[in-house]
Amino acid sequence: MNASTQSESDNAMDLSKWAKVPGVLIAVGGIGALMGALIPSLREQFAFSWLVAFMFYLSIGLGALFLVMAHHLFDASWSVPIRRYMEHLANLLPWMIVLFIPLAIFAPTIYGWMNLDPHAHHALAAKQPLLSIPGFYVVSILCLGIWWLLASRLRYWSLRQDETGDAECTYKMRLYSYWGIFAYAATVTLGSIMWVKSLNYHWFSTIYGVYYFAGSVWVAAGVVYIIGMILKQQGPLRDVVQPHVFYYIGSILFAFTVFYAYIHFSQYFIIWNANLPEETFWYQMRESGSWMEIGYIIIFGHFFLPFLALLRIDLKMTFWWMFCLGVWGCLMHFCDIAFNVMPLLHPDGFVLHWLDLACLAFMGGLLAKIYLKYLYSSAWYPQKDPRLAESLGIYVPSAAERTGSEA
Amino acid sequence: MAEEKQPYGLIAQFETPADTLHAAEEVRDAGYSQWDVCSPFPIHGLDKAMGLKNSGVGWFAFIGGVVGFTLGMLMIWYMNAYDYGIIVGGKPMFSPFGAFPPSYELTILLSSFGALFGMLFLNRLPRLHHPLLKNRRFAQATHDKFFVVIECEDPKYSETETRRLLESVGSTHVELVEE
Repeated sequence: MNASTQSESDNAMDLSKWAKVPGVLIAVGGIGALMGALIPSLREQFAFSWLVAFMFYLSIGLGALFLVMAHHLFDASWSVPIRRYMEHLANLLPWMIVLFIPLAIFAPTIYGWMNLDPHAHHALAAKQPLLSIPGFYVVSILCLGIWWLLASRLRYWSLRQDETGDAECTYKMRLYSYWGIFAYAATVTLGSIMWVKSLNYHWFSTIYGVYYFAGSVWVAAGVVYIIGMILKQQGPLRDVVQPHVFYYIGSILFAFTVFYAYIHFSQYFIIWNANLPEETFWYQMRESGSWMEIGYIIIFGHFFLPFLALLRIDLKMTFWWMFCLGVWGCLMHFCDIAFNVMPLLHPDGFVLHWLDLACLAFMGGLLAKIYLKYLYSSAWYPQKDPRLAESLGIYVPSAAERTGSEA
Repeated sequence: MAEEKQPYGLIAQFETPADTLHAAEEVRDAGYSQWDVCSPFPIHGLDKAMGLKNSGVGWFAFIGGVVGFTLGMLMIWYMNAYDYGIIVGGKPMFSPFGAFPPSYELTILLSSFGALFGMLFLNRLPRLHHPLLKNRRFAQATHDKFFVVIECEDPKYSETETRRLLESVGSTHVELVEE
């Protein structure tokens, strides 16, 4: 641990004045969003703003779910102390079902293809039965249902492990992660295709699901770092989370910075190289007006800046630096989602509408309130995980070593 | 050869990783700079106990990467756009997108070269001989013994004081090694 982290972790800050923020965000954002939903002239803007905010927060939950499953799949020890708060983060996914209701209602406003006849539009006919009204709702329910099941079951067995310490709990969590990672890959692809890619129903890109996944884990890693940092500094995880854990989360963030850029570049490069009008139109839409500048912001802000900022090992463990980077990551991910969604509504360029902020504030406040409730409802870290001592750097001799026998 | 034998340094043997770690902390606090610890396996926390800073290899890798990327872009621009321009698929003569994949490969290639050769350079490798390799006892460093080695070149080195320090921190055997 370097000197600055040590001194920072020794004095907890008074965060009580922030306790009211989620409530204020819910009230102000809720009123704004409600106005958007009710006033007919604002309805279209509201629906798109809601979609951007929904996809933004969905990313954080999905990214956390992935990190929890990866933890079990690799039988990792380093991430045991941070597992519990990631499980809570993943359990925001069931609440995304509630937040999906406005999208379910306003889907015909957002998705132009819902009002078209597939018999008259070849691109749409080729994508039946996926891009049909029943297809949309079936896929949506399937995706949200599977995420609900995975997130809640993984946390259920984790909490049970706190009580019983049985090996069964570990095996159950591994089982859910085992089939879960396949279901996750399929549902993240389906969800991102259905809710974002189908905005341009003509378009196709086989890498799109991976692209949304890469951005999701990237933004979630930044959020996980910040939450871990706060919990360490404020006390609950002070003696539990070792400094090298932050180095590892920083490394995940770094890896996904490169992975995201690799995936997004691949998508662009293949389309650029083939130069087929039925593919290039997607980027053409996103090169008109100030969307071009947003594109540059994504190249430099989503990749170059974090890439350079995360290269040094000591900076990956410097709290204030990583805090700024995590917040910046959220901003960049918002730009990325807006870049995918908003050119449909504002073809001439990026517009920051007050409804964008209202939807983000409402959802953010609500999810933060739920998250805090979850955090306080259980132990801060897995109490009886078999790898807990190992993750703390404590050596626990086996029975044979204690008695000196070879048994 | 009638060459006079020069002393190389003092080696001190330790029996456990914990003793070694503790000894390293004492040697570090005593202010030595030309010294090293040899162990059959990595000991966690030894870099901190020895007061080692982050290695400079990263800089070699970084500079290698920057050179590789620049070289790749320049090469493709020179060949496809400047020296012998060919229109391919209606694309511009030079585009950073088309040039990116090879440049990216060169970035990785030269940064790994930078890391490898930078490591060898900083370690002053390869070298054909090291005075410690003559010492029979030191061969145990690859088996089950741990050694702290303080070189005579260290400005703080003194035959008696250094020996006393090593013995006081729990060494089971201190020996002078010659060049």
